[in-house]
Amino acid sequence: MDAAEVEQTGSAMPASIEGDLRLAGIVKRYGAVTALAGIDLGVRKGELLTILGPSGSGKTTLLKVVAGFEMPDEGEVLLGAGRITDAPPSKRDIGMVFQNYALFPHMTIADNIAFPLEMRKVRRAERARRVDEALSLVDLSGLGGRLPRQMSGGQQQRAALARAVVFGPKLLLLDEPFGALDRKLREQMQLEVRRLQRRLGVTALFVTHDQEEALILSDRIAVMEQGRIVQLGEPQEIYRRPATRFVAGFIGESNLYRVKVDERGSGSLENGTRIPLPGNAVAAGQEVGVMLRPERPRQVGGTEAADVTFSGEVVETVYLGETVKYRVQLDPGFEVVVRWPFRDAGEALKVGDRVALGWNRDDVHLVPWSLTA
Amino acid sequence: MTAPSASLLEGGFFWRRHRSTVLLLATALPAIIFLLVFYIAPMALLLAESFEGGTFKHYAKALSDGLYVGVLIDTLVIAACVSLVCLLLGYPLAYFLASTPAPWPTIGIIFVLLPFWTSILVRTYGWMILLGRNGIVNRALIELGLIATPLPLLNNINGVLIGMVHVLLPYMVFPIYAVMRRIDPALLAAAEGLGAPGWQIFRRIYFPLTLPGVLAGVTLVFIVAIGFFITPALLGGGKVITVAVLIETQVRQFLNWGFAAALSAVLLGATLVVYLALRRLFRSEM
Repeated sequence: MDAAEVEQTGSAMPASIEGDLRLAGIVKRYGAVTALAGIDLGVRKGELLTILGPSGSGKTTLLKVVAGFEMPDEGEVLLGAGRITDAPPSKRDIGMVFQNYALFPHMTIADNIAFPLEMRKVRRAERARRVDEALSLVDLSGLGGRLPRQMSGGQQQRAALARAVVFGPKLLLLDEPFGALDRKLREQMQLEVRRLQRRLGVTALFVTHDQEEALILSDRIAVMEQGRIVQLGEPQEIYRRPATRFVAGFIGESNLYRVKVDERGSGSLENGTRIPLPGNAVAAGQEVGVMLRPERPRQVGGTEAADVTFSGEVVETVYLGETVKYRVQLDPGFEVVVRWPFRDAGEALKVGDRVALGWNRDDVHLVPWSLTA
Repeated sequence: MTAPSASLLEGGFFWRRHRSTVLLLATALPAIIFLLVFYIAPMALLLAESFEGGTFKHYAKALSDGLYVGVLIDTLVIAACVSLVCLLLGYPLAYFLASTPAPWPTIGIIFVLLPFWTSILVRTYGWMILLGRNGIVNRALIELGLIATPLPLLNNINGVLIGMVHVLLPYMVFPIYAVMRRIDPALLAAAEGLGAPGWQIFRRIYFPLTLPGVLAGVTLVFIVAIGFFITPALLGGGKVITVAVLIETQVRQFLNWGFAAALSAVLLGATLVVYLALRRLFRSEM
């Protein structure tokens, strides 16, 4: 499994870690608590890689180690051709967008954006030109004279982004930058950040606990749990083939069943119900988790074939706008949640309706049942 | 204020229209009376006294005689010096209190407040013991071999400054401390990440953000210092004359109430001017 690949540890820079930003064997402890338990990660040039994890998984600590606000106890941080493990933040040439933007409240937006240039002793005329350029890049032309508090949340966000990229940083760090925005604006800003990052071709490391956001924005996602990266891969890969039960539960919705593999390669639930497993199944006698995404089961009528079919009764319906979610109690004695596109009220199911659900063996994905890998 | 009649109270037009205003005035009445009796009336009496005989003669004397103008200028200079020294001592102290971990800020604040718990008179006499020719400070310095003859610390401007700074330091520390506590640490991290070395972070970000506290502290200390009496009178040994000392002399020795009142009015005017000037500075900064 993928987890095995990324969980190699070692203090020297292993050859397998490639990219613009390389982290090798990063360990960070706070007293008895290990915040980072050996992180190996390479971020490719121009890539947007997301560190995704629940609070307390160590993702923010990892970001701080990259930015230089925390020193790792072990391991190395390399950026481009240089080693920056013990460089102070001011010498790292990393642009960072903070959770609450951290715009300097006593300076105008233009002065905020000019600040990193000023610190790099860029001449005044050149500075003004680049500030104007950055302002137009984020659609804030003409608003440079305003103070941060005179701007909306979305505008502040853009200004913070402009400030983080105006000096041509080697790396862009984004620390949950969309948390303070309302849903609609958040989606818009996510796409804007993505476009801007692509256009500038800047390598970016993005930290979030929001799995939906991670799926939308990322070239690759690294899922963190308890100070480790448990899976690294493209969004589709992470969603379709989670490496562990934790990842399966954390990313998107899923039905998870604990089954015991029998001699014929099927899995049986505790109550004896058999569920067919995909071809390359595990050895007989093993316990595995069967993950079934809610969009996978379909309603089967007379002629439609499926590898497995169960009938049951709808016990709950949740209308979500473009989709509708049903909780169905299946006759063999287990529940499944399904989510289907919602087209018109006529075909909607009601609580108490009988329904036949079917899916193919390839619709399910297996994860190790044990949580400690 | 016209009292609404009973019929108006019963859902009358006046009552409905002005209900909130009437209630507001009624709740504010105790405070208004307090201000009238204890602040505005004495001030008015004082001002009336200063125009004794309906002339400006006291003001003419206070503002033309070189002696009195000199005292006024001395007073302003002393207040400015005290403010400056308080700022130089208070800013680092406030920074220490605002940036140290858990138990230290509380302990520090108790120490800063400690002088407030003793009478100003006692504190001033305390300084007389410490600062005299044979006081603890001079004795210690001589015995350590740092100086040969005692430093002139008492009965001159040095003593006055030391005593006033001691009394007024908390007025500087607390406004600055309050502002420092509210500065978002992410701003400093952001500045560092954007390439600013430590002193630039202080100069461009931290200090400008503490300016409201600095100006509040300076205003407070300066205004209180202008009217200071006990400390200059006792530690100055009669050689340091401030306006407050002058007023006391006029009343106690010459029973010249009219002139004392005029001097008070001048002091009040100077205080107002300084206050407005500092407030303007404050506005343009933020």
